[in-house]
Amino acid sequence: MTDPIPVRSATALECRTCGAGAPVDEHFCPNCSRILALGRHGDYFSFLGLPRRLTIDAQDLERRFRDLSRKFHPDYYYNASPAERLASLERSSYLNDAYRTLRSPVARVEHLLAIEGLPSARSEEGSAKVPAGLLEEVFALNEELDEIRELRESGGEPGQLSARLEKARQPIEGKREEHERQLQELAARWDAQDTASAQDKRATLEALRERLLERNYINNLLATIDREAASLPAAGRQ
Amino acid sequence: MSHVVGIDLGTTNSLVAWVRDGVPEVIRDQSGDALVPSVVSVADEGTIFVGREAQRRLLTAPSRAVYSVKRFMGRGIDDVRDEASLLPFGVTGEAGGVVRISVAGRELTPPEISAFVLKELKHRAEEFFRERGEFDFEVDRAVITVPAYFNDAQRTATRDAGRLAGLEVLRIINEPTAASLAYGLDKKNRGTIAVYDLGGGTFDISILKVEDGVFQVLSTNGDTHLGGDDIDHLLIQMVLDEIAGSASPGVAGSASRGVAGSASHGSSAPRDPAYTDDVGRVPPSADALRGGPAATLIQAIRKAVIQAKVDLSEADATDMQLDPQPDLPNGYHRRITRAEFEQLIEPLVDRTLGPVRQALEDAGLEPPDIDEAVLVGGSTRIPLVRTKVAALFGREPHSELNPDEVVALGAAVQADILISGRREMLLLDVTPLSLGIETMGGVTSKIILRNSTIPATGREMFTTGVDNQTAVDVHVLQGERELAADCRSLARFKLRGIPPMPAGLPRIEVQFQIDANGILSVGARELRTEIEQVIEVKPSYGLTEGEVERMLIESFEHAEADFEARLLIDARNEAESVIHATEKSLRSHDFEQVVRAQLQPGEVDRIRVALVELKQAMETTDRELLHDRTHALNHATQHLAEVMMNRSVREALAGRNVSDV
Repeated sequence: MTDPIPVRSATALECRTCGAGAPVDEHFCPNCSRILALGRHGDYFSFLGLPRRLTIDAQDLERRFRDLSRKFHPDYYYNASPAERLASLERSSYLNDAYRTLRSPVARVEHLLAIEGLPSARSEEGSAKVPAGLLEEVFALNEELDEIRELRESGGEPGQLSARLEKARQPIEGKREEHERQLQELAARWDAQDTASAQDKRATLEALRERLLERNYINNLLATIDREAASLPAAGRQ
Repeated sequence: MSHVVGIDLGTTNSLVAWVRDGVPEVIRDQSGDALVPSVVSVADEGTIFVGREAQRRLLTAPSRAVYSVKRFMGRGIDDVRDEASLLPFGVTGEAGGVVRISVAGRELTPPEISAFVLKELKHRAEEFFRERGEFDFEVDRAVITVPAYFNDAQRTATRDAGRLAGLEVLRIINEPTAASLAYGLDKKNRGTIAVYDLGGGTFDISILKVEDGVFQVLSTNGDTHLGGDDIDHLLIQMVLDEIAGSASPGVAGSASRGVAGSASHGSSAPRDPAYTDDVGRVPPSADALRGGPAATLIQAIRKAVIQAKVDLSEADATDMQLDPQPDLPNGYHRRITRAEFEQLIEPLVDRTLGPVRQALEDAGLEPPDIDEAVLVGGSTRIPLVRTKVAALFGREPHSELNPDEVVALGAAVQADILISGRREMLLLDVTPLSLGIETMGGVTSKIILRNSTIPATGREMFTTGVDNQTAVDVHVLQGERELAADCRSLARFKLRGIPPMPAGLPRIEVQFQIDANGILSVGARELRTEIEQVIEVKPSYGLTEGEVERMLIESFEHAEADFEARLLIDARNEAESVIHATEKSLRSHDFEQVVRAQLQPGEVDRIRVALVELKQAMETTDRELLHDRTHALNHATQHLAEVMMNRSVREALAGRNVSDV
């Protein structure tokens, strides 16, 4: 679903008010100080004045968001020229998208992968293939789910089935926790790689993408267990 | 310079407010009343009455009046068929189109009816500024509030209503957020606030984080069909059932099955005869309530139950009394206790708790994380509502500001921010519902998620399925459900002018932009050729630009008749405030013992005669007569007013002496 952020026409980079050029991610025209149209922007990190790192101080991020909101928001451009009003709308929208994305650790990684040129970790084919590290758990879970479904249809005791589902969930939850840890380690490695070789950086990004694919797969498995649990007759009912 | 105002366009009542020297205040009429009932009545000759006058006419000519029209804004006939059955006006419309309301031989859309209410508010504000001696007293711009949970069609309908009323709508803002602005004014504090807003027709919950003057909405939820109206309907149904069950055969039929005889009143509104309401009862038929005698009875019941509801916020029990009338030969009387009332409405109040929990979950919070809970909307005066909210958040909710007025005050603050460019405060609101498009197999694909801060953008890539295809159909939806059929259809449009290419080659980027009003606009272009695409959006439940233009022209044509009506309304309002003041004096606790002694012989009788005569004039539409008799009553009560005034001054001074001691 998430497509690469489209490249807009280069002319939008110029100040619509005075025609002067402005560097990428400059919010106001250096020449006439009016708000700039959202031209060919960099990315969510640079827009908020942040380095391209995965560790972000939540309070600092929120403060930046509030400060920029106060500079861009359409409320403050009501009496401005149409060009500035449009610029304020575009810049506020982009700011809101940027804040929402960077606030979520996972969306933050996805954005980093996208701007570093890696394919999306959400693609359909990615989640259909069982990740190698999960093969064992997936087979075990599928077998257990098949048995539970059979028992359910032949009138198995709901409380017992519910307990078996809960038991089947545990190894998957364990995998998820392990993945959270690995994601954090990889994020820390990326943040320390400012001066590393392009090859090393690429390897970290590929590993991050692997983890995200696995993570999506694990979440799907958990959702399957939840659905199964929901289709059990309410426990205790005769 | 012309003025800007903030308007709370409510289901039951509407208000207008402005900011005087940085402080918001509600604009009242001469008798000090802030509320304009959101009722519109159409007289024989086409004259439009709004507010108190329309409310009076609702009792005598129910088929000519429209109320609670906010519940129909931006909706289709299929959405509203069930509740329309309890209303005295005809609700029609083609399936999948705008609702139309037939009243007194005219067919009007909900935005047109709301525009009458807005015009009344505009007029009230202009009178106010004129009396302040301002040279330019025109009010031409406004911030109008809507329930936070209103969808795109409902917001657009509200904006259309503003335009039809001759107002430039600076901004549509959410009611709970507006309330938080009004509350936040005098407190420079920070924290997490829950605004619980239960009004006449709608329920909203918004969770906000306030810091450094930025009011950031974290999440919002609600129900655009849950409010005081629903409580009234429960009570009306209860009374109807009791009347039907009592020994009054003439009414039994009308109450439970509709008056058979009223079929001759000939409404042609399509209605499914097999239709039943939620609980399986057959509701009184729309035909029976429209124009027929039963309509008058229903309005009398409605008035009585609303009064009982209000009473029960203070008292433990109250009496509902209906005088004998043609449809109710024996009258009706019933004592209702607060416990009975609470038992009746508890399921409705409980329906608000689900959205509250969802909003908390969406904000990633638990009830103890909420620093303050704020109550907004007239229905939060009900003790049961307060109890439930207090139990949910584990703290007493705030209600220092008048729950009827706080939204209009906030709207005025926002209007002031927009016009003045003051930057101490900033509202960052969210879109209440996810925006999506229909994809293969009728599935919704979400593009902007609910609770995204607005303005917000979303993009989607489209391509063609057939070689040389030059157009693609797009169906825009709002809602959380998986299937397109379960979501709200906002609009359909065609992407045209795609350059002929092999299938799958064009890359058309469609950009969805939700602005700070929460209203959607759509743009598109083909990325390979950089050609901007032409988009004609056909709103599913809204008016087209052409329709709005036509209505604007029509409203100019009616302007003269409306002006006459306006003069009459002003005369009646003035008369009413004099009547009210006189009756208050005559009823006052020390009138008999003290005041009467200071009046001249026969003076009280002269006042009573003038009072009765003015009341008789109120039954007519004779403006001159009203004017003369208002003047006469004013004259007759002049001495009385002086006596009363002196007394209250003395009392005030005496009070001070006592407290000094």
